[in-house]
Amino acid sequence: MPKSFISIYILGGIIAACIICMSIYFIIKAIRRAKVIGMDMGKVKETIKNSAIFAIVPSIPIVIGIGIMMQYLGLAVPWIRLTVIGALQYELIAMDQVGITTAAVLNETIIATAVIVMTLSILAGPIFNAIFYKKYQGKLADLQKKNGKKMDTITGALLGGLLSGMLSAILVGGIFTIGSPTIGAGGVQVFGEITLITLGASVLLMGICGLILVLGKQKWIESYALPITILGSLGIAYAFIPLFA
Amino acid sequence: MKKINTKKSLENQTREEYNLSVHNGGRLFTWIALGLIVLLPILYCISAQVLPDWGKLVASIPFLLGYIAIGLIEAVSYAPLLGTGGQYMSFITGNIGNLKLPCALNAQNVAKVKQGSEEQEIITTIAIGICSIVTTIIILIGLIPLALFQTKIVEILNPISPYVIPAIFGGLTIILAAKYVKIAAIPFAACILICIIGNLLGKGSLFSQSNMVIVGMAISGISTTILYKKGYLDKKPKKDAEILGEEKVVKPTIKDELNDEADNIKNDDIL
Repeated sequence: MPKSFISIYILGGIIAACIICMSIYFIIKAIRRAKVIGMDMGKVKETIKNSAIFAIVPSIPIVIGIGIMMQYLGLAVPWIRLTVIGALQYELIAMDQVGITTAAVLNETIIATAVIVMTLSILAGPIFNAIFYKKYQGKLADLQKKNGKKMDTITGALLGGLLSGMLSAILVGGIFTIGSPTIGAGGVQVFGEITLITLGASVLLMGICGLILVLGKQKWIESYALPITILGSLGIAYAFIPLFA
Repeated sequence: MKKINTKKSLENQTREEYNLSVHNGGRLFTWIALGLIVLLPILYCISAQVLPDWGKLVASIPFLLGYIAIGLIEAVSYAPLLGTGGQYMSFITGNIGNLKLPCALNAQNVAKVKQGSEEQEIITTIAIGICSIVTTIIILIGLIPLALFQTKIVEILNPISPYVIPAIFGGLTIILAAKYVKIAAIPFAACILICIIGNLLGKGSLFSQSNMVIVGMAISGISTTILYKKGYLDKKPKKDAEILGEEKVVKPTIKDELNDEADNIKNDDIL
């Protein structure tokens, strides 16, 4: 594993502290506003609880991502890159633009070049936010005020599109790789069968949670339905991996 | 020009003033984050006492332009879904489609907040804030086994990581399906068709989840605009919608009227 410098670890610590401070700032601000507008504080507490539970399982692949990238970049650089803006699938492609995964000799020059490419490739979103978002959001807010229905339709369209795109890629990708696994991020084998089983299990488990909620009148399950579904379907996927591997 | 006082006490702030103060905080944190992000390669080069390979950097410009375009498209298209505070946090912490947005949608569903309402904005901000803290802490904790056991821990957990997205989106689709079935039907069918054609042509890798999200949003934007203009998204028959104009007339509740009245008084104060 390439060497990680103390200075990079210190920078990582500052970044992590900054993110936690920022999140606390926005949470406190939102809670105060909730009190001002007379919002049910039970909803706020519920949101804090279910968001904390929800975030645990999907965060684990990020840690695994650091593990995959650290073979090429050391431990500190992937930690920073996956703590701010980065997402594994983007970062792997970005770092490999300089041929880091196939390099005969992994030296600090190639790592420095990869880090620059990874950094430059993710700046567009935050720069947009820092310069243009306020104006853009003002336009969205105006639209919401003038024609709430139109704005709701736009939001619905984006959400519908996101779900459609994601589901179609999962479904069709899964079907087309049945019997011929592909190599995913970090060199892991991806089995179409397990992708489809996981998706099906997730749908089924959510359906069961819905039945328990409606028929069993167990309201508590509403807050935990998605974490239960994610964890349950991943458990099923894990059980199937040895059958196909 | 209307001036907005952001220093007013929190109790007296209108939604507009509150929103502006969120922008101020968000922009400040974004600039700080940008500074820290850019510091990484600089600090690495200084610490390792190396310069980058300029030839390889120049060669990666076309790739960089592509990623910049994706970044801009994501920032514009995710904005209506993430709310003001959520947008700033998400584009600093990342993992939006696979973590922040599903977390926010789940929280909105559990809290049963009205779309476009201030409650929705608050719930989304809190959900994304909590999610960012939890993820940052888990990553920090995760560094310990990674440093100790290195790739052994990856070998154990890595086989499961490609299935996290199907595990999230299967359940999330069930939650949101009833709400967006009319809107999502056409883009879903189109995306399926595009993916099938892409895979049949042997270009399956081009139709990855992250690429298809953008394609899905674009198709959905077009199809929903057509459905909206033709009045197919109205609950009322089209004729009624035409008589009433573009906006569907919804009789306000007493609570809505009182809230509007209070907002008008506050807006008059600003003016």
